[in-house]
Amino acid sequence: MTSDAQINDYLSRLRKSLSGMTISEREDIVEEIRMHVRERLGESQANVESILAGLGPADELAEQYRTGLLVQRAQKSISPLVILRAALRWATTGVEGFLVFCVALVGYVTGGSFLLLALMKPFFPENAGLWVGPGQFNFSLRMGATMTNPPSPVHEVLGWWLIPVCLVLGSLSLALTTKLLQFLMRRFRWKVPRIGAVHARPATMAF
Amino acid sequence: MAKQVSITANELETTDRWEAQMRKGCLEMAVLASLWRGRLYGLEILRVLERDSQLVLAEGTIYPILNRLRAEGLVQSEWVEAEAGHPRKYYQLTSAGRERATLMAKTWTQFSAGLGCLIEPVLKREEVEQSL
Repeated sequence: MTSDAQINDYLSRLRKSLSGMTISEREDIVEEIRMHVRERLGESQANVESILAGLGPADELAEQYRTGLLVQRAQKSISPLVILRAALRWATTGVEGFLVFCVALVGYVTGGSFLLLALMKPFFPENAGLWVGPGQFNFSLRMGATMTNPPSPVHEVLGWWLIPVCLVLGSLSLALTTKLLQFLMRRFRWKVPRIGAVHARPATMAF
Repeated sequence: MAKQVSITANELETTDRWEAQMRKGCLEMAVLASLWRGRLYGLEILRVLERDSQLVLAEGTIYPILNRLRAEGLVQSEWVEAEAGHPRKYYQLTSAGRERATLMAKTWTQFSAGLGCLIEPVLKREEVEQSL
């Protein structure tokens, strides 16, 4: 494979791995890496293999770009989807990230469930509610014949108030989870992007 | 007679890992500081870091960091036609970037001075042991 073919092959793999970015963002990155390779080729004792090896595998390089931008976007975004994606990416980097992802998942599932319950109430008024009884206190959607004969001591207490209550609780859960996740991302932002190797010169201490 | 201090491979590995983590933590400050005197392109930043701070980065590392700093509004970039015959993407600090770099440099100096007092006896002890 010629030098040009090797470079083009690397850059096309990089381009392919930078999915999720706009075309202009992607091309800007690819062009910068192309110029880096050309610049390095102009230096003495540089060959394409060692330059590309220095950049690391194309998919890992793309991963660093995507992780950095996703986390940065998630710090500002209020979209649970963007934040969950960032948390999922974080979860792949270690225990800390995994715990944060669990918090995000629990928070958003709770919020989503409350909102879903509020939406279901008009369609299933008899089955959606806050059920209270001996040893029981839960918001849920009850299906089937369990609420009919014989009359259960567990009964529904909120009635149509369930809708505003669930809307408020659901929105609060989503908002608090988002705020908490954004705080954690800012607090631990040093550790989030996967950064490649950083070396000291042999036998030197830089600090 | 000089005392022999044996360091196991495991201890050495732990120290290396700790040092690598410390360097990673300082990367953002180092990149911002390298741009303090004016605009530079990626490879120049790598060379400045290597020359002035002995931070040798894997070459692919610098570009995602610069991209993130740009997205955060700490640096701005522009393509400039260069004498080399191909364009270069230059980066320079924004006012927010200058503020962040100043803040980080101050925090670093305070932190390092504080820690310096704490580790001074450790280094002195080392000197005494070596002179024995």
